[in-house]
Amino acid sequence: MVAFRSTDTSGRTTGLLLRCVLYCLLALVLIIVDKRYDHLGRIRRLLSVVAYPVQIAVASPFQGWDWFRESVTTRAALRADKAKLEAELRLAQFRLQRYEALEAESQRLRALRNSVAGVADRFLVGDIMDVDLDAFRERVLVDKGARDDVFVGQAVLDAGGVFGQVARVGQLTAEVILVSDAAHAIPVQVNRNGLRTIAVGTGDMRRLKLPYLSTSADVVVGDLLVTSGLGGGFPPGYPVGTVAEVKRDAAQSLADIDVKPAAALDRSRELMFVWLKPQAAAAGLSAAPAASSTAVKSMAVTNAAARAKTAPQVELTPRVVRARPVKPAAPLRPAAPLESATPGSEPETSAPPEKPAVNDE
Amino acid sequence: MMRDNRLRRLPMSLSALVALALAVLPLPAFLQVLRPDFLVLVVFYWSIESPRAGGLTLAFFSGLALDVIQGVALGQHALALTLMSAWATNLRLRIRVFSILSQCLTIFALLTGYQFVLFWVDGATGNPVTTFARWLAPVIGALLWPVIVSLLGRLHER
Repeated sequence: MVAFRSTDTSGRTTGLLLRCVLYCLLALVLIIVDKRYDHLGRIRRLLSVVAYPVQIAVASPFQGWDWFRESVTTRAALRADKAKLEAELRLAQFRLQRYEALEAESQRLRALRNSVAGVADRFLVGDIMDVDLDAFRERVLVDKGARDDVFVGQAVLDAGGVFGQVARVGQLTAEVILVSDAAHAIPVQVNRNGLRTIAVGTGDMRRLKLPYLSTSADVVVGDLLVTSGLGGGFPPGYPVGTVAEVKRDAAQSLADIDVKPAAALDRSRELMFVWLKPQAAAAGLSAAPAASSTAVKSMAVTNAAARAKTAPQVELTPRVVRARPVKPAAPLRPAAPLESATPGSEPETSAPPEKPAVNDE
Repeated sequence: MMRDNRLRRLPMSLSALVALALAVLPLPAFLQVLRPDFLVLVVFYWSIESPRAGGLTLAFFSGLALDVIQGVALGQHALALTLMSAWATNLRLRIRVFSILSQCLTIFALLTGYQFVLFWVDGATGNPVTTFARWLAPVIGALLWPVIVSLLGRLHER
């Protein structure tokens, strides 16, 4: 039976128009303030705490089911899993032996070039919450927030490679924007020949694009793309994806290149937040030879140079030269997708705290 | 009358809370784009059924909750939901006597208007979502309207 049984049949509701106008004005003010200024960051962080119970309530049955499934696994399945993991571990350790030597060599070479490698300083593992955000944006909610010193613009990895970056931080949760989001761009490098470009998302989790390479660029199917570390947001050298398809149209000046992301964007459950070493971010920015050639041993001057790089419109006034910790902020990131990464929120992001890491490397 | 309205508030906020949970319930990717705006339908229902019990206030705060939980521009859903539920309130006397088909069509128009406001704010704040899929939600929502009406009708009958 589909019918309304309302007893409220009077023709007019008093002040409907007035209240509507009032609420609409309030909403408009909120939109504008949220967009133009960053005053709402704190309010939003508090509001996200209010939203947390709903998110937990929605996510917990799924977590419960996962837990249940895990706890009723048979002995045989566990043994098989263990054997598989041991094999994987052996392989990983095998690879790691060479990696340590290579890492040391790379550090030495970079030291010769006077540019400190952007090194990941500490890691923190977070779980993706079983909550759907906007269906048309590639974003996930993770159960780590401002409480765990997560900051806007922070790099997020998974076991396969670069997953995305933090778009918004709540007190207990953080929103991570995937590399495949249509509004996301990440500076990358072809591992084979060092060719630098930018990989942008497409809105499709299985595909990224390299829209800024000319048809003559040396890219072939199967090339590994790694983060270049330019822009300072991401640590250099982490896999972003492999080239899946290269279309060269003679009539076009730019090639049409598809990339398959290295991270399991649609399957990962655990993500890793990465804190860069403070000067590592600076090294990422000063990777251009001009900056590193002027660099002197003194850390303060190096930092100042890096700062001057980040703000080219500022002359090298005493204010700039003053030694300051360099912000691992986003001003050089090519297509910054983060409206919320405004100066107001940066002081909190600038200094990775000394808190013991959950998962040190 | 006053007492009646106060009695309504409990089922109102309860149904809104459930709808809010449904809005973030994880679904497979292909179903995600088909997800109807549950909370919007619930708010429309209460705007039509008992506007004096605070339909607009419910609309505004439900919208705000959606903004926070979906992480979009703060105020976006609030604006769209307030506008459309005011329109629904304005049309309520007619909607109540409509046949169920006409009701669905009206709700479809309201939902499309809602999506349009969202679309506009998305564009104005610089995050346009241009996929055609977003216009599917109003269709699904309109088809779901009879179910919502009968469910919520039973809820506040008690």
